[in-house]
Amino acid sequence: MANVLKHLPELEGMELGYIQGILKNMDDEQANLFAQVYRARRKDSQMILILTLLGFFGFAGLHRFILGQIGLGILYLFTIGLCFIGTIVDLVNYKSLAYEYNMKVAHETLSLMSNGFDVVFPKKNTDTNE
Amino acid sequence: MKIPFELYFWCLALIAIAFIEVGTEAHFSLCPLHNLGANWCPGCGLGRSMKLFMTGEFKASWEMHPLGGFGLLVIGFRIIEIIKHIKTTRNYG
Repeated sequence: MANVLKHLPELEGMELGYIQGILKNMDDEQANLFAQVYRARRKDSQMILILTLLGFFGFAGLHRFILGQIGLGILYLFTIGLCFIGTIVDLVNYKSLAYEYNMKVAHETLSLMSNGFDVVFPKKNTDTNE
Repeated sequence: MKIPFELYFWCLALIAIAFIEVGTEAHFSLCPLHNLGANWCPGCGLGRSMKLFMTGEFKASWEMHPLGGFGLLVIGFRIIEIIKHIKTTRNYG
């Protein structure tokens, strides 16, 4: 049982609760590895907010590129954020955009750990048998 | 279960676009630039273009705005992605 506040103190809100849900099945060593990989790969919601704000100066959709949604990024870029409407919506919504991306990263990290590092993550098999 | 705001937005946008009547003069516009008095911006005609694409008039759609069909596809994929995301995050959280 690892505590999220000890390993990833910078998280807040929904993300904090979600990562705690993942970490509660791990011991401290596993949680440490998870925290290192997750911290390196997650996107900060403040960066998403700033990139969204750039949409008002003609560079719309940069946040969509950063979040891996290339198609929407191109659409936003060539239509100045769907005539600003898309930019304004994403300005309201930037936290859930970052949250969604970070959840994907968390699941990726989990599957990386359970596939490639069986030595580090031995509890996986016993957990699934229960 | 909470339905994400973005899912509402894209679905409502597609429904609203499906009800656009192309060709009527002085159409109703949500665009903030248009309402401020600008005559043209790079996104002008995107909604009408999507509507034309939905009804199968691909050539007219391309002439209205080249990104109409592309945008429709991308938004469709995005809606599917959001629904998938709801399903995967239900386990923890």
